Amino acid sequence: MSGLVQVINSAPALMASVAIHFPSVQYGDLVPELALLVGALVAMVSSALARTKDISFPYTGIGIVTVVLAGVWSYHLSTIVASSGPKAIVAGAMAVDGFSTFLMVLIAVSLLLVILLAEAFIYEVGSRGPDFVALLLLSGSGAMFMASAEDLLVLFVGLEILSIALYVLVAYCAQVTLSREAAFKYFILGGFSSAILLYGIALTYGATGTTNIGQIALFLSQNTLTSNGVLLGGMALIIVGLGFKIAAVPFQLWTPDVYQGAPTTVTGYMASVAKAGGFAGLLRVLYVSFQTVRIDWRPVILVMCVLTLFTGSILALVQRDVKRLLAYSSINHAGFILIGLYVATQSSLGDSLYYVFAYSIMAIGSFGCVSIIGHLKGSTEGPLDIDSLRGLAREHPRLAVVFAILLVAQSGAPFTIGFLAKFSVVSAAALGQHYELAVLAMLSAVIAVYFYLRVVFAMYRPPLTADTEGESGLTLTDDSGDVMIEEDGALDQGDLLTVTRSRTIPVAASLSVGLALAMTIGFGIVANPLISFASSAIPLH
Amino acid sequence: MMLATITTPDLIVFVVSGAAALVGALGVITLRNPVHAALMLVMTLFSIAVLFVEEQAQFLAAVQVMVYAGAIVVLFLFVIMLLGVDHSDSGARDAIRWQRPVAFVSAVLILLEVSVLARTRWATGAHSTTAKLTGSGAHVSELARSVFTTYLAPFEATSALLIIAVVGAVVLSRTSRNRSPVRETERPESVGGSGAEEATLGSTPEVRS
Amino acid sequence: MSQYLPIVVMAILASIFAAGSFIASGIFAPKRPTAAKSAPYECGIVPRRGPAQRFPVRFYLVAMIFIIFDIEIVFLYPWAVAFHQLSTFGFVEVLVFAVAVFSSFVYLVGNGALDWGPKKRLQPLVEDETESISSELVA
Repeated sequence: MSGLVQVINSAPALMASVAIHFPSVQYGDLVPELALLVGALVAMVSSALARTKDISFPYTGIGIVTVVLAGVWSYHLSTIVASSGPKAIVAGAMAVDGFSTFLMVLIAVSLLLVILLAEAFIYEVGSRGPDFVALLLLSGSGAMFMASAEDLLVLFVGLEILSIALYVLVAYCAQVTLSREAAFKYFILGGFSSAILLYGIALTYGATGTTNIGQIALFLSQNTLTSNGVLLGGMALIIVGLGFKIAAVPFQLWTPDVYQGAPTTVTGYMASVAKAGGFAGLLRVLYVSFQTVRIDWRPVILVMCVLTLFTGSILALVQRDVKRLLAYSSINHAGFILIGLYVATQSSLGDSLYYVFAYSIMAIGSFGCVSIIGHLKGSTEGPLDIDSLRGLAREHPRLAVVFAILLVAQSGAPFTIGFLAKFSVVSAAALGQHYELAVLAMLSAVIAVYFYLRVVFAMYRPPLTADTEGESGLTLTDDSGDVMIEEDGALDQGDLLTVTRSRTIPVAASLSVGLALAMTIGFGIVANPLISFASSAIPLH
Repeated sequence: MMLATITTPDLIVFVVSGAAALVGALGVITLRNPVHAALMLVMTLFSIAVLFVEEQAQFLAAVQVMVYAGAIVVLFLFVIMLLGVDHSDSGARDAIRWQRPVAFVSAVLILLEVSVLARTRWATGAHSTTAKLTGSGAHVSELARSVFTTYLAPFEATSALLIIAVVGAVVLSRTSRNRSPVRETERPESVGGSGAEEATLGSTPEVRS
Repeated sequence: MSQYLPIVVMAILASIFAAGSFIASGIFAPKRPTAAKSAPYECGIVPRRGPAQRFPVRFYLVAMIFIIFDIEIVFLYPWAVAFHQLSTFGFVEVLVFAVAVFSSFVYLVGNGALDWGPKKRLQPLVEDETESISSELVA
């Protein structure tokens, strides 16, 4: 007892000897992240108190409100940054700068589109309740943490928040074999890559004595490492770990399977927000932290970039499933985004970010169209064969036009956001006098046009004969009109969940795809706002 | 010559706990009964915690006991129970045929790597500790200072990870689609791959029967 | 290291007790097994089938509750050690952390993580088993 009293009495003396400077936490700077976290918690707790669990729209409402709040506040922060400059917050572990606010606006917009799509489709095959929206918001907050990470540990924790929630989202329709398989593959490979990233962070810490992104840059600019094996190892492992997340070749092997197996809505999320988070980390760490040792990482990025460009576009040519095709197209786009990183100037970084924005919008729009078509064809959130697109233009002409525009925009057609994105990264390469890379990128874009058009042409061709169609799965009709789901035992059809329901396009889905389309064309024609916003996306330091 | 600085009690503790860790590790990979293997894992992890204490890393020791010997092994045991206790792996069939030789080779490689790394002097950066470590409790309070100052942001963000773990567990352990037709309730004691899959993601016949 | 001596003594005593119990029962206990004696005891009724091979996956949620609070303790430990130095700031930050974790606990309970036992078996096979407990919580 006396010992305890002694300890308590000695405490003030201890406090005097080591004064702690607590970080000042300005919660206003953290609103985007906190809004998503709190939104998820509100959805979860309110579901625990609610009488029925079999509803989704209140949670969708909560999701939309928080996402809009986060997005608007991010934009507000970006105006503050524009007027009074970027700053580091929470003991320098996070940054409020053009880079982070731009990406946070992008993440919020993407989340909004995904939540709308989810309301339309995911609850047809997955269970209702707050789970999907809560996971989505949490995962989005992880991406925002990554976007504003100024410390490698924040980056890592953000990445884990983003990906662990995503593993569950991929498995959200766990009774579908393909979804389960995709979740398992993604989990194993994702866990692996996270571990590799963490090891890289540890080695970087060992080499520089800090995990702060700005201080690493400072250390490396003031010191020359005579034997830099630890630093190079750490850098390489960080590139590998984040390369998995952005699906850059040779770390892309999981992408087609996971994109195909995941519920289509989740695939859209993965292609946009998860990729944005990965690029946020990669761009900031390489460009800021390792600025002085860029001679070491730029060749690696160049090789990755060229491989990614061509692997994506060439392998997409032979795909038969639309989701797999879009997965390879996503790999191809990652190559374009890497160009801006390879050029590694402040403006080329902005070009990369602009590309990330453009791709995210187009990807969600495209996957939204795939969702709608799948729904109409009786395979909600499931895989979609290209041949099953045939005749779509006759049945649903407007849908076909929208999908065609989004695909053509991805290939880089003028008057769309996709053209400006491709143009900006290629011109960045040309400005940096990397003409070979610019030529290679354009070559890959030409190849890519072919497979996008393949999908478009499929929609405008006459449908296949009746005996091949309508075999997508078993249908089971209920007299009361309730939705009945039956899993087919056969191997090839076991992945198809068939829902009998009047096949109309849900309003929320039209809204989501419409918004994506409006942004794709709108920012393509009235280009200046987004371009200037992206060019202000400069990282701190 | 290094041994000269180590006191005899320390040496005894090191040898005993090191040996216990090795025996436990061997037990994990040789014992047929999964529950026994999990308990041997506890022994290994606990011995490593003792080694941490000897290295003056009290926090790591505590975390080792709480998280690994506690939480992780409990999760292991839960999974074993979910899959069925009697479902012991015969060991005759490996899923991947070359996994044993590869495991052996990589173990040797890791040993080599460790010995090479231990002999090499890499240039490393500035030491990041900000204060002298004095007294036995100093490490933990020094860590607390770091967690609540420099690493406040990742610390608070970790709570999101825990929340995700909870939601994820609920989603993944949910019985299959709420409105799906009722499955059969009585299920024979199944042993094998498909049954294991059912236990983790599918319906729960025991509760429903 | 001397401060850990009590733990070592404790460990030694525990192992001596455990080993002693085994040895003593091995030496002194009478061993005359019959088929009836070695059958599992089920209130005198001869069991008709073997015990359940697997636990329902629902119990995994209980493990989850354990895990989240276990991890929370990991962070509470350094905070408790440096409690005086960290003062109000540390308290507030830990509180934020704890509230976030606790609300996930509320969610778990609302989803029926602590909801097992014979009562549920009597219920018909409803669509959502968690409805009952959540309405109880409201009431």
